[in-house]
Amino acid sequence: MLLQQILNGIMIGSVYALTAMGATLIYGILRILDIANAGAYVAGAYFGWYIYIKTGNLVLAFLISMAATGLIGVLIHRSIYGPILSKPRILPIVPLVASVGLFTLTGDLARLIAGPGTKAYNVDFGVEVINIGRLTVVPAWILIIVLTALLFTVLWLVLNRTKLGLAWRATAEDADIAKAMGINTNNAMALSYILGYGFAAAAGIMVGILYNSITPALGEVPSYKMLSIIVLGGLGSPVGTVIAGLFIGLVETMLSAYDLTFIPKDSVAFIALILVLLIKPSGLISKSNKV
Amino acid sequence: MREIVRIEGLKMYFGGLKAIDDLNMSVYEHETLGIIGPNGAGKTTLFNTICGVYKPTDGKIILNGQEVQGTPPYEMARKGIARTFQISKPLHDLTILDNVVAAAGIHEYTGISSFFKKSHTKEVLEKAQAIMELVGLSEIANKKAREVSLGYLRRLEIARVLATEPQLIMLDEPCAGLSNFAINEITELILKLKEQGKTIVLIEHNLPITMKVCDRIIVLSYGKKIAEGTPEEVQNDKKVIEAYLGEEDED
Amino acid sequence: MSNYITTVAVNIAVFSLLALSLNIIIGYAGQSMMGQAAFFGIGAYTAAILTNNGVNFWLALLVSLIVSGALGAIIGVISIRLRDDFLAITTIGINFVMVAIFQNVKFFGGSLGMAVKTPTIFGQRMTPVHFLILLLILIVLVCLLIRKMNNSWFGLALASLRGDEGAAQSFGVNVNQYKILAFIMGTAIAGLTGGIYAHRMTFIFSSSFAFVVSISILSMVVVGGVGTIRGPLVGAILLGAAPEVLRFADDYRMILYGSVIVLMMRFQPQGLLGENSFIMNKIEQYINPLLRRKGGESNA
Repeated sequence: MLLQQILNGIMIGSVYALTAMGATLIYGILRILDIANAGAYVAGAYFGWYIYIKTGNLVLAFLISMAATGLIGVLIHRSIYGPILSKPRILPIVPLVASVGLFTLTGDLARLIAGPGTKAYNVDFGVEVINIGRLTVVPAWILIIVLTALLFTVLWLVLNRTKLGLAWRATAEDADIAKAMGINTNNAMALSYILGYGFAAAAGIMVGILYNSITPALGEVPSYKMLSIIVLGGLGSPVGTVIAGLFIGLVETMLSAYDLTFIPKDSVAFIALILVLLIKPSGLISKSNKV
Repeated sequence: MREIVRIEGLKMYFGGLKAIDDLNMSVYEHETLGIIGPNGAGKTTLFNTICGVYKPTDGKIILNGQEVQGTPPYEMARKGIARTFQISKPLHDLTILDNVVAAAGIHEYTGISSFFKKSHTKEVLEKAQAIMELVGLSEIANKKAREVSLGYLRRLEIARVLATEPQLIMLDEPCAGLSNFAINEITELILKLKEQGKTIVLIEHNLPITMKVCDRIIVLSYGKKIAEGTPEEVQNDKKVIEAYLGEEDED
Repeated sequence: MSNYITTVAVNIAVFSLLALSLNIIIGYAGQSMMGQAAFFGIGAYTAAILTNNGVNFWLALLVSLIVSGALGAIIGVISIRLRDDFLAITTIGINFVMVAIFQNVKFFGGSLGMAVKTPTIFGQRMTPVHFLILLLILIVLVCLLIRKMNNSWFGLALASLRGDEGAAQSFGVNVNQYKILAFIMGTAIAGLTGGIYAHRMTFIFSSSFAFVVSISILSMVVVGGVGTIRGPLVGAILLGAAPEVLRFADDYRMILYGSVIVLMMRFQPQGLLGENSFIMNKIEQYINPLLRRKGGESNA
């Protein structure tokens, strides 16, 4: 029934948006496509699992996993992306290839350290399903929607109500001028990674809870779907990412629900992207065009 | 003198911004025409419109009697209009020599058939070497463009222009950002080209140079022509002085 | 020649061609093309379908070359409208969509793959060695083609548009036209390689043309040295032979692979044998004096 599908779609779309947000934040500042963001997703899922298994505390799992992945992100920026981007005139694919290498590494490290099999979160919410009127709601969905909304609110607050957020927005607008005005662009970049990878980690945990399984290949599909979503939403626009994520989540859910399987579900994001780009080459929400 | 370019009623609007607003002007063969005006007057926009980078909102650009507004830049180049860029655009990975050779190939870039034509022929190399000699780039011919200082890059822009054997040379602030010494060198070069009878249109913020080098000057302000005449006439024009009032002269 | 070595050699040869072809698009023309495997696949399926329907093998190869090139022209047209990041992602998307089509459309055999007839040459069925020789001949031809391109105005046009599109336009390069031509060249060669590959494998699966394969090809080009002829070849040999050579470390293969890529991009983005790389500089340092001594007076 339609409302049920919409709820389902919003839930999935929220996870997509959360996964993709990191890539948007990083693109906003550095202008690179960071596939390693999907690596943060995988790493986050595994860190979260480990901590949850050890402590039984989901909150702790989220917090520590997000913090750890965020910090690793900053390290990666300092040691890899930063130096790569400081060299003059590299081909645009160089940071992209580096990010692919990092992503590959993460997946394989997960396999080596945690083993190739499936790991289960086995979170017990107490009830299987909650029935609200004619809607069937799985408890995990509530967790996902509420937590995602919370995280995005935090993001909005940070970007729009804090000095650091202002620094971020200034750096995203024009890094050189921001630096010349005394803004600490390094901190802005660090923020992109802490928030971005942290969000991806949270998304990974959510997916782990939702499907009650994580494998080293967890990041495969999200890696490219995430790219689709951030371009669809207009590269560098957090709002656009949310809208695009929800949009793709809804479209995928509708297609599966109404059994329109001639389009494989995972290709939907790309098909949507190609269609949109043909009409509007700058994405759904384009930032102001720099001359 | 023969009129090479005539611009009639040119309008270039970017949304609400009227970068060029109903401009009429001409460029005559063998003259050195200066285009000056305060920042934002529309000088580079004018260049871009003439060269085909922008398609004008309205108006005509007539080259040797033919209407050419809206022609793509690579075709305008082939019709004989060559320009330098305000911010130098060297081909960084290529040597200075190859940069000049690349420009010399202007009529050779014919798509698939260009695959079968060797680029570095004796003729082309000789031509490139002659140009580098004229412009003063011979000593660094084999250096990569990314290794070379701004002064040389500006000369490279001019060398590339010459390599296309143009009817009309358009220089966009060739002296910007250069030391006084380098400015003198570029000025000497422009005067040399003038001696050779080349037709030159020059945008320059450096007013003393402009006055020295140009036969005629057109002054733009907010997209409109506010004065036109010899350097002396323009210097004493009240409207021109007003337009620059409050504007710090760069020197 | 042992079957195992021939198989590895064929694999390296296939990747060499794919890397060389991709290099035309990303190395010489500077365009972000992340879906080369899609055209490898288009060529493979086109040739396979034709020979399965009685068409002569060589004719089928020719058609797969043309079809891949024609479809590549479409990407070329797309590249005119999109900036590099958008273009990169669109080409990734096209890769995924093509594989999805290969996988789900019954015509292409679906998830079971497609059987391919083994072609005959001089009356006998083509053996792996025959394929290897064919591929090697093709590699030589492609290298000669690229070298001719580099010495021609075509090559200089590509170098100019890669360096600065605005500048290239200012001296007569029709940037759009040359971008499309570069895409056509690159995808056509990839398609032809696919056609040969399909007949060597006798069975093709959509998974052989997935995005990960595009990444492999890209890595070979970038690790070996973008914008050179030697680069993609060395990259294909290194990264193509590595899985075999490192079989003992099979468990760590992807980690090594990932690490190599990250380290290369961080420290040698121009590639191992790219211009001004550590190795090339060392070669110049030691070989040049030798050459000079042989040749008499240097003209430094």
